[in-house]
Amino acid sequence: MDNIIVTREVCRYFGSKDTQVKALDHASIEIQRGEFTAIIGPSGSGKTTLLQLIGGLDNPSSGQVLLDGTNIADMTGTTLSDFRRDHIGFIFQAYNLIPVLSAEENIEYIMLLQGIPAAQRKGRVHEMLRLVDLDGLGDRRPSQLSGGQQQRVAVARAMASQPDIILADEPTANLDSKTGVALLDLMRTLNEEHNMTFVFSTHDEKIMERARRLIHLQDGRVDSDQLK
Amino acid sequence: MLELRLAYRNILRQKRRSLLTGISMAGGFALCTFSFCLLEGGWGNAVDIFTLDHTGHIQIHSNDYHRRPKIHKTIGERESIEQILTNHQEITAFAPRVYAPALAYANNQTRAVRVVGVDWKLEPTTSRLRQKVHAGDYLDNAMTSDGYAKAMIGAGVANTLDIGIGDELVLISQGADGSIANDIVMITALVGTRTSWDKMNVYLPLPAAQSFLSMGNRVHEYALQVADSNANEVVARSLQTEINHINPAITVSTWQVVEESFYRTMQSDKQGNYFTMVLIVFLVFIGVLNTVLMSILERTREFGVIRAIGSRPIAIIRLIFLETIILATLSIAAGVVIVTPALYWLLTTGFTLPTPIEFGGVTFDHLTGRLSLFVLTVPALLIYVFAALVSILPGIRAARITPQQAMASH
Repeated sequence: MDNIIVTREVCRYFGSKDTQVKALDHASIEIQRGEFTAIIGPSGSGKTTLLQLIGGLDNPSSGQVLLDGTNIADMTGTTLSDFRRDHIGFIFQAYNLIPVLSAEENIEYIMLLQGIPAAQRKGRVHEMLRLVDLDGLGDRRPSQLSGGQQQRVAVARAMASQPDIILADEPTANLDSKTGVALLDLMRTLNEEHNMTFVFSTHDEKIMERARRLIHLQDGRVDSDQLK
Repeated sequence: MLELRLAYRNILRQKRRSLLTGISMAGGFALCTFSFCLLEGGWGNAVDIFTLDHTGHIQIHSNDYHRRPKIHKTIGERESIEQILTNHQEITAFAPRVYAPALAYANNQTRAVRVVGVDWKLEPTTSRLRQKVHAGDYLDNAMTSDGYAKAMIGAGVANTLDIGIGDELVLISQGADGSIANDIVMITALVGTRTSWDKMNVYLPLPAAQSFLSMGNRVHEYALQVADSNANEVVARSLQTEINHINPAITVSTWQVVEESFYRTMQSDKQGNYFTMVLIVFLVFIGVLNTVLMSILERTREFGVIRAIGSRPIAIIRLIFLETIILATLSIAAGVVIVTPALYWLLTTGFTLPTPIEFGGVTFDHLTGRLSLFVLTVPALLIYVFAALVSILPGIRAARITPQQAMASH
C-alpha cells in the first residue's frame, strides 16, 4: 500500500477549557497515491481544518500528519514553507489568484518561488494552460476571467509546481453547478492522466458523485470512508 | 523580472495613494537637492572668496606661525621649497609673504597697521590683490623717483590717516634681528574697502618688506592654490612629506586649519542644515510608512495565499522592499524633473541678497548654487535609505501573516 497521506488520531482544538471547540477529534485517514478523494460533511464538521492540517497550513493539537512518510506536524518556519511549495498544491474556494498578475504569471509565480529557471517556467506555464484548456487566455488578469476560468488557472497554478498532492477546499463553492461539475471533470482527468493525488472538500451532492472515495466527517470525527 | 513586475503593479493598485506618496517623496528629494545645492554654493562661494582673497588652499609656515605668529618664525630654505612647489603637479600657483605689525605715521597721526610683503609677480597668481586695487597702480619692485619703496594701503589706513596716492607714509616696527625697523614708503595704490578684512594693511614689495624687517631672504608664509580645492588635504600631506626632508620644522596646513574658526562655523552650519533636511525626509517617510502599512493590511489575504503556496517569509519582505524601492526610484525620477529647472536657475542666476552680508571679512551679496557629487547623490541616497528602513516593519508584519489568519480575515 502506497499511502501518501496518513493522519493518525489527529486532534485540533480551538480555544481553551469552557470555550474549547473540537474541530477535529482523533481523525485518522489513509489516502493512497493517485487517489481522487472527497472529504464531505456538513458545515463545521472539520473538512477545512483537516485539509489545512494535511496542507501544513496549521499544526494539530495532537496526533500525526504524515505526507509520504514525513511527519509535517512537527515542521515549522521555512522548512514547512519549502515543503508546501514542493509537495502540495492548493486550490482555494475563492480562487485566490494574485489580481495584478496575469493568468500566466500567476502560474509562473510558484515556479519562481521554487527557483526554476525562466525558460523552463515559460514552457511549463504553456503546458499547464493547455491542460486546463485556457490556451490564448494566459495574458488576461483574473478580473478579466470568469469564475470557472479563474478556478482553472488556480488548478494550473496548483499543478505547476508538480506537487505530490493537490488539496482543494470547496473548489466549486463559488461556481454555478454546471461550471463546478466541469471543473471536477477536469480535475479528475488530470488525476487520471498524471496520477496526481487530489483531495477536496465539498458538500455539493453533484460534486461528490465525481469522487472515487468519500470520507465523511461528522463533528470532527471520521464517520464513514466509502470507496466507490 | 516577475517579482519586479509584481512589485511594480502592486504600486499601481492604488494609483492615487501611490501618487500622493510619490509626490511627498519627490518633494522631499527636490527640497533636499535644492537645499544642498544652495548650501554647497553659498559656502563654496565663501570658501572661494576666502581662499582667493588671501588664504589660498594651503599655507606653509615655520613651526606654529599660523597659530602664534612671531616675526622670527621664518622660512629660510626658499629655493628648495619653491622647487618642490614648482614641480608639484597639483599646485597651480604659490606666493611668498612676510608679515609684521607696525605703526604707521602720517599727518601727525599714528595708527597700528599690518605690513604685508608680497611678491608683486607671484601674488596675483594666488590671490585677488591686483583686482582689489581701486585707485592707483599695482605694486612693483621699482623705487619711486624719490627713492622710496612703493606701498599699497587699505582703505582704513587711508581714511584714518587721511592720506592718499602720492603721500609718504612712515612705518615703524621691530626687525627680525631685534633692531628697530623704520622706513618711509610712497603710497601708489589704494586697496579694498573700509569694511574689507585688509583695511588696515600696508602692502610692500617683498624685497622692501624684507629689508624693512631685516629678514634677509626669509619669508613667513607661502600661500598656495591647488588644481582641485577638494583635494587640498591630500596635496598638503604629500607636500609635508616632501618638505620634511628639507626641514621638519616647516608646517604645511590646509586653509581649514589656518582658518579653523571659519571652517568650524561652516561645518556647524552645514551639519545643522543636513540635520534639518534629514528631519524633513524622516517626516515624509512617516507618511510613507503609513501608506505601506495600509497596503499590507489591504493585502493580508493575498500574503496569506502567497505564504500558503510556499513562499518563505523573506520573499514577502523582499517584495515589500522592492515595492518601496521602486516607488522611491519613481519618486526620485519625478524629483529630478521637478528640481532640474530650479537647480539650473540656482546655478546660473541665483539669489541677490537685498543687503550684503559680511562674515569673517568676506562680503556676500549674491548666492548661487553649486553641484557636487554630494549634492547629486546624497539626497537620492537619503531617500533610498529611508525607503529601505520603512519597508522593514511592514515587511516583517506581512511575512508574519499566516495563511490561516489571512483566510480568516476575508
